[in-house]
Amino acid sequence: MPDPRIQIGAIAPPDTDIAGITAAPALPTPPVSARSGRPSDRQARSGLSATLDRIAPTRDERLFLVLSIFIGVISGTLVVAFRIAIEWIRLLTLGSAPHGGQYRLLIAPSVAGLIVAALVIWFFPAARGSGVNQTKAALYIYDGYISFRTVIGKFLTSALAIGSGHSLGPEDPSLQIGAGVASIIARNLNLSRRRLRMFAPIGAAAGLAAAFNAPISAILFVIEEVIGSWSAAVLGSLVLSAISSVVVARWFWGPEPLFRIPSITVRDPRELMAYAVLGVFGGLLAPVFSLILGYLRPRLRALPRWTLFLQPAVAGVLVGAIGFFGFPQVMGTGYDVIDQALHGQFVWQILLALVFLKMLATTLSFSSGTPGGMFAPTLFIGAMLGGAVGAFEKHFFPHLTGTVGAYSLVGMGVLFAGFLRVPLTSVFMVLEVSGNYSIVMPIILANTLAFLISRSLQPVGIFETFTQQDGLDLPSMEEQREEAVLHIEDALQPATVPLVTGSDTLQRVAQTIAETHASAFLVRLIDGSWYAMSADELTSASATLTPEAPIQRALQPDRTPLLFPDMPLDSALHYFPRWPLLPVLNRASRGTLEGMLTLDDVLRRYRGGE
Amino acid sequence: MATVHAGAILTPEERLARRRLILRDAFSLISLFLITAILFILTLLLFRSFTNHREELGARWKTRGEIALHAGHPEIAIDDLRSALAYVPSRDTEIELASALADAGKTQEATVYFTTLWESAPGDGTINLQLARLAAKDGNESQALFHYQSALDGTWQGNGYDRRREVRLELARYLIARREYIPAHTQLVIAAGNAPDDPAIKLEIAGLLEQAAAPRDALGLYRSLTARADPPIAALEGAGRTAFALGMFRIAAESLRRALAAPLATQQPDNEKATVHEMLDASQRILALYPAFDLPPRSRGERVLSLKRIARERLTECAGSSPAAPPRLASLVSRWDQLQSGLTPPELEQQPELEQSITQLVWDTETLTAQVCGAPAGDDALLMRIAQNPAAVEQE
Repeated sequence: MPDPRIQIGAIAPPDTDIAGITAAPALPTPPVSARSGRPSDRQARSGLSATLDRIAPTRDERLFLVLSIFIGVISGTLVVAFRIAIEWIRLLTLGSAPHGGQYRLLIAPSVAGLIVAALVIWFFPAARGSGVNQTKAALYIYDGYISFRTVIGKFLTSALAIGSGHSLGPEDPSLQIGAGVASIIARNLNLSRRRLRMFAPIGAAAGLAAAFNAPISAILFVIEEVIGSWSAAVLGSLVLSAISSVVVARWFWGPEPLFRIPSITVRDPRELMAYAVLGVFGGLLAPVFSLILGYLRPRLRALPRWTLFLQPAVAGVLVGAIGFFGFPQVMGTGYDVIDQALHGQFVWQILLALVFLKMLATTLSFSSGTPGGMFAPTLFIGAMLGGAVGAFEKHFFPHLTGTVGAYSLVGMGVLFAGFLRVPLTSVFMVLEVSGNYSIVMPIILANTLAFLISRSLQPVGIFETFTQQDGLDLPSMEEQREEAVLHIEDALQPATVPLVTGSDTLQRVAQTIAETHASAFLVRLIDGSWYAMSADELTSASATLTPEAPIQRALQPDRTPLLFPDMPLDSALHYFPRWPLLPVLNRASRGTLEGMLTLDDVLRRYRGGE
Repeated sequence: MATVHAGAILTPEERLARRRLILRDAFSLISLFLITAILFILTLLLFRSFTNHREELGARWKTRGEIALHAGHPEIAIDDLRSALAYVPSRDTEIELASALADAGKTQEATVYFTTLWESAPGDGTINLQLARLAAKDGNESQALFHYQSALDGTWQGNGYDRRREVRLELARYLIARREYIPAHTQLVIAAGNAPDDPAIKLEIAGLLEQAAAPRDALGLYRSLTARADPPIAALEGAGRTAFALGMFRIAAESLRRALAAPLATQQPDNEKATVHEMLDASQRILALYPAFDLPPRSRGERVLSLKRIARERLTECAGSSPAAPPRLASLVSRWDQLQSGLTPPELEQQPELEQSITQLVWDTETLTAQVCGAPAGDDALLMRIAQNPAAVEQE
């Protein structure tokens, strides 16, 4: 038997997912220990971590990087398999060339909806809902826990739903599959809780990168929407896993971007006006889409329990009906339709019709609880909107606008920024999938406009709306990104306490303190370091040393921490129990004092005072 | 991997635990590697079968689309080619799809599609040609001419030489349809200059030159063909027709005679043969009437007098039918009155200037009476043809 103190898997209990249909949880039911957070589990985990820290203190750190590569490779492989599964199911259910008037367009999504509903309710309850929010929940609530069953369930149910024509995308499930793979691997290697938590976003980045064939966008999305902040500790692993997964995906799919992008150039700076119009339309459309989803989803979930078995099937019939009556383009991922729009194969009237029909189809599919993601529909709607605006402008102002394909491309980014509220990702996503940096200006302009307009019209982002509807309180990444972080310079005060050097005698220092009535003072030492001494400490030292002794002989071996004005203010807080005050130094000139901090100064700043 | 801090002093129990941890981690990583490898192989198998199936589907839909397109079912071809593109994207299929859209009358969609293709390859001859056709269909002449010219200057897959000539001829047809004969003539002259020694091509160009009101160039091409050992009957007919139109009746008669004597002449449509016969008869009669310079002086004099008689009768008839003769006709009558009566061929033989002036009077009479009294008939009609370009009658 292995040593019980390092029993692998001792923390994570067996998968204990429960259906919970009446509560309709959209997020994975966590392991009992993680959900309850019982002190005994926490203590066991802490004890194990302490043991591992002692016998192998750098193990976590090294495994973290190695496992990131494994996670990337496995996630990439699984995402490729997932995409192939979707395509196979699509061929088997909808045929190789679905077109209006085929009854299979009605039958396939509805029958698949019934099967998916049964699978989700009876076997894979955690497969329902947004993979992004589930990954965030794993990170913030469940210590990085995503069950193996969830991964399998997400794979099967999403592939079946999307392949049979439900208007959903594979990226969101891919993200969750990646996060799940990471969670399983990390749990089985018994990493520390902190590391365990960070693995879910690393896997998410890998899954998304493989799905988009765009590593930078995936990393940025995870940082923007899942982690919420840039962290050097996790960035390396994110990059490793995303790159590994993309290498695998490209080994299979080839180096080409997700879409075949026609040659695009911006002919005239005045064309930016046309792109700005697109940004405005995108900014107006995104909140409409959010509102429809936000309205229908909770109402369908509030219906009696038995209807949950039928909702995906009914949604399937309705989506199929859209296809049956002449718009099969809205069914499934719609990648090929995006490709056609990028190559100007539709007139603007058709493109506009596809915008609204896809919104309707996606709202029905997603709100019915059918597993699948919002990324591909968002790209689809954006591409159609862009194409419609571009084709319209080109028709009426032929000298002002460039290719229609360029507008479709920018349109994808516009809705990504406006609807998913990830402005940085939206820019890089378009650049990565197009491989064309000459269009960066229109993208930035249109995306920024869409983002600002959308946010002003609909302050709550779509992911936040879903988490609120699910009764969870996950951090809003949009707010977190824009939250003003206080720095030391915000609470910095001029050094008003006495400053002495290490060679000054105790007698002289004592005299200075007596004259100034200071309760503490700063000592500068010959090596440029500082020491903050209280008057009481000086009194104690005076009792054991002669008055002529230099003050440095009275100092403890430690020194005040190196603090600089640009550091986060909270980084200073935990030093105050030890030091009465803290010197703040200049980064450019070693040992040079910029000012000082006291606990009162810090607290006053946090309370809002100056 | 499990490692030990340099400064850490471990108890024997901890060292044992550390060894077990190292073994466990190694085992975990090896297991992970094996799982990855197995997963990869399974995915690879799945991917290969999927890729092969996609390629089969792409090829199948492309073939169906092309068959439908060539069979004149562009609507079906559109769906098929779109499906083909979804499985195996290719530029050729895109162009075929856009062509199907154009053939199906979806001009706007086809234009948008071709424009997008053009923006990525502005020098592509096929795309420019299709855009030119769409613009022509849309009545946008400037765009049509721009794209026709771009197609001529562009790149072509396969035999660009032939494709460019076809484009040039298509451009010429477009210009002829718009009655812009001068630029059409220019294009046809270039096409003729670069044309290979292929009777069918030369015949096509010559036919277009005729339509572009350039019968002389057309005749040149026809005659280059009639000089061959086994000239095409169409070339003989074309040469006869254009020569007849140009008043070159000797050439016309010769060519038309050969056309009717050609082995394939019997297979020609009856109405076509009748036309050829009519032209040949007219040409032969003209040559019989015309006082050619290579005739013996006596014979020529006889012909001049014969023409004089025909023209005089025509003038008399015309003047009698018009109660108020116009001043020009009166002037003509005056010229006739001044003419010496009772002239004989020997007298004319002695007075070549008189012969010349009589001949000129005949031509003037036929021309003026045709203007005053309407189109003549019979020999007068033939004389009228000669009168338009008397010098051409005997050109070789």
